[in-house]
Amino acid sequence: MIRLVAARLCALVYRTMTNVMKVTFNVRGFPRALLLLAGAGTILLLPQASRAAEPAKDAPAASAQGLVPLDIKLPAPAFKGTPKDIQVGPNVEPVSDKPRPLMMVPPGLKNIATGSKITCSDKNATAENLAKLTDGDKEASDQSIIFIHKGLQWVQLDFGSPQQIYAVVIWHAHNSAKVYHDVVVQVADDPDFIENVRTIFNNDADNASGLGVGTDREYFETYEGKLINAKGVKARYIRFYSKGSTESALNEYTELEVYGRPAK
Amino acid sequence: MGTPGLRLLSGSTLILLLLVAALALGLRCFRLDQRPMHCDEAVKAVKFGEFWDDGGYRYDPSEHHGPSLYYATLAAMRLAGRRDIEHLTEAQLRLITVGFGLGLILLLPLVADGLGRSGTVWAAALTALSPAMVFYSRYYIHEMLLVFFTFLALAAGWRYWRSGKLGWALLAGAGVGLMDATKETFVLSLAAAALALAANWAWGRWADASRPPEQAARIPIKHMAAGLAVWLGVALLLFSSFFSNAAGPLDSLRTYLPWLHRAEGASPHIHSWGFYWHRLLWFHHAKGPVWSEGLILVLGVLGAYAGFARRGLGGANASFVRFLALYTFALAAAYTAIAYKTPWCLLGFWHGMILLAGVGSAGLIRRTRTRPLRMAVRLLILAGAAQLGWQAWQAAVTYAADPRNPYVYAQTSPDLLNLVQRVEALAKVSPQDGKLVVKVMAPDSDYWPLPWYLRNLERVGYYAEVPADPYASIMIVSSQFKAALDEKKTHVMVGYFQLRPQVFLELYVELGLWKEYLESSKHERPGS
Repeated sequence: MIRLVAARLCALVYRTMTNVMKVTFNVRGFPRALLLLAGAGTILLLPQASRAAEPAKDAPAASAQGLVPLDIKLPAPAFKGTPKDIQVGPNVEPVSDKPRPLMMVPPGLKNIATGSKITCSDKNATAENLAKLTDGDKEASDQSIIFIHKGLQWVQLDFGSPQQIYAVVIWHAHNSAKVYHDVVVQVADDPDFIENVRTIFNNDADNASGLGVGTDREYFETYEGKLINAKGVKARYIRFYSKGSTESALNEYTELEVYGRPAK
Repeated sequence: MGTPGLRLLSGSTLILLLLVAALALGLRCFRLDQRPMHCDEAVKAVKFGEFWDDGGYRYDPSEHHGPSLYYATLAAMRLAGRRDIEHLTEAQLRLITVGFGLGLILLLPLVADGLGRSGTVWAAALTALSPAMVFYSRYYIHEMLLVFFTFLALAAGWRYWRSGKLGWALLAGAGVGLMDATKETFVLSLAAAALALAANWAWGRWADASRPPEQAARIPIKHMAAGLAVWLGVALLLFSSFFSNAAGPLDSLRTYLPWLHRAEGASPHIHSWGFYWHRLLWFHHAKGPVWSEGLILVLGVLGAYAGFARRGLGGANASFVRFLALYTFALAAAYTAIAYKTPWCLLGFWHGMILLAGVGSAGLIRRTRTRPLRMAVRLLILAGAAQLGWQAWQAAVTYAADPRNPYVYAQTSPDLLNLVQRVEALAKVSPQDGKLVVKVMAPDSDYWPLPWYLRNLERVGYYAEVPADPYASIMIVSSQFKAALDEKKTHVMVGYFQLRPQVFLELYVELGLWKEYLESSKHERPGS
């Protein structure tokens, strides 16, 4: 009813204007069509006179003890304006303002990653590129980072002989704040990771990578790298898994360090 | 005075325009739902949802702009027979602004005798292919509506100037009313148009000695009054929410106080004068492509020159081109000078530049002496336009959410969709299904666009701080809080998710629910 009245009102206004102003629209009906469209639009936008009452929500079923779920009213979202645009740059502030606590290790440990044989699941990664992982350059620059194909990928170090590993430090790309997913570090006695595989770090909480449910936390990449306590585990091979980051599906590494000594 | 009717465009030209419009539609519609909702888009979508569900709209003078976007969406939803917001998709919402972006091309025949036939076609092509126009046509925000209504008002004003017919004055008034009901910055466009009118008149009277000045049409007062009445009527109708909110029209004036504060510097969007020009003319992020719409600027300057020097105009009208140039430069100067800047604000003056570029393209071709050279120039401009189209594709599809795209600004990261998928998967596994309790906590309410994505869950609470009792089946917590809500071992922190660059959310899941989720089915991390 309201819409019918509105339509008739629009038509009346139109007729009145043309009659009073004593003008005609001689432009192939274009503004006339637009006025009619405006009238139709007005009809479309009129609030509905009444809405059908919504069916009453089913009352929650009572339990055998006559209990019902507690209905807690939760706060609605507060509207917000356009957030600040943060430009991603090469210098990332450390996430924590406290210095990383020192890790206590036996004396005389060396970085045994240097000089190890490096292999990778991504067959396109060249030896020259992989060598960057143990060249000592940990800067957050493009020249220091190597890119590995997306999806679950690994980088493996072969120490040549069994080692006692006490600490591992991983630098993925830390040129911007990001979190890498499914970071898993394993050691084994064979290069195919079949014999005596042990996991020393795993933050794959949902086992998406099939290496077991991880209980370690995800972490932000920083200039300090991720320090992992390997507790003196003995192995010849160590493998680093990851599966992209919050920023990209690609896997990126800057540097790997493994602190240990020859196993007795 | 005035050209009766719109006889300038031939049938073949109209067909060409339609083809260009089809190209524009294709660029604007492809993979429309690929880019995650921007915070602003989500706010507007949720506000529309409230409007849709509650049946009432109240204009908010402090933020979120005018009612036209919501009413346009309402009309589209009613026409499409949509019944609720839960099944509405991002693509469907964005089709509203796609329509208005396309409308910029469909309005061009109204100014064909101002731009000239060839100028109109080139303007259509450049509008269709401009990366900025394409990118923001796919954004569910007010900006494209403002550009459309502004062009509608200008085009109707031009038709009135040419014909003296009341209908065009009324349409121009309606256009201004819709501008008013769209965004508060419409006053800048009005001021630029008024300045351009005055300056153009002065130029025609005193500076342009090449021919007798055009006699200004006598504009009957009643026509002006009628146009003004339509402006006020349209604004009153929409701001009052069809006479259901008496405070709305007054609020539409009160809104300028907070916006003036923002313009003066009380905002996180204060940028240098070069902000827009850096994005439009040469934008190159490390490891990204080079972006430039410099071709449009060059051709636009040529078009402006043609208007002032009366050279190479062809069928274009010198006075109209001069007005357009003065309007564009005035508006560009205003936006450049105002400290508050967001990249979509460049659309207004850039559209003017595109229209001038249409004139400039036609003029450049026309002034080339020999036929082979003329063909070569035509092909060069076409190649440049095609390159713009390639940039538009990159902006809209390949780099749609990438900070290396000059038009991306505070954009939601694609990683957030992984969080949403994870929460939806958890809800499916939960015995409470869509009724499980989710608590979202972020400082300064910085959790958008999650309210849009989680709209189908019935029990979601949003907090600007960690509440006294933060625990729920699922908790989404800003990493800034360092909440460590898994310390009691009742919950597990299953990962970080990026909301925007350098802004992260932690997802905590109740231990029992997480175990059920792990056991329920084989799964991969979403988005891998």
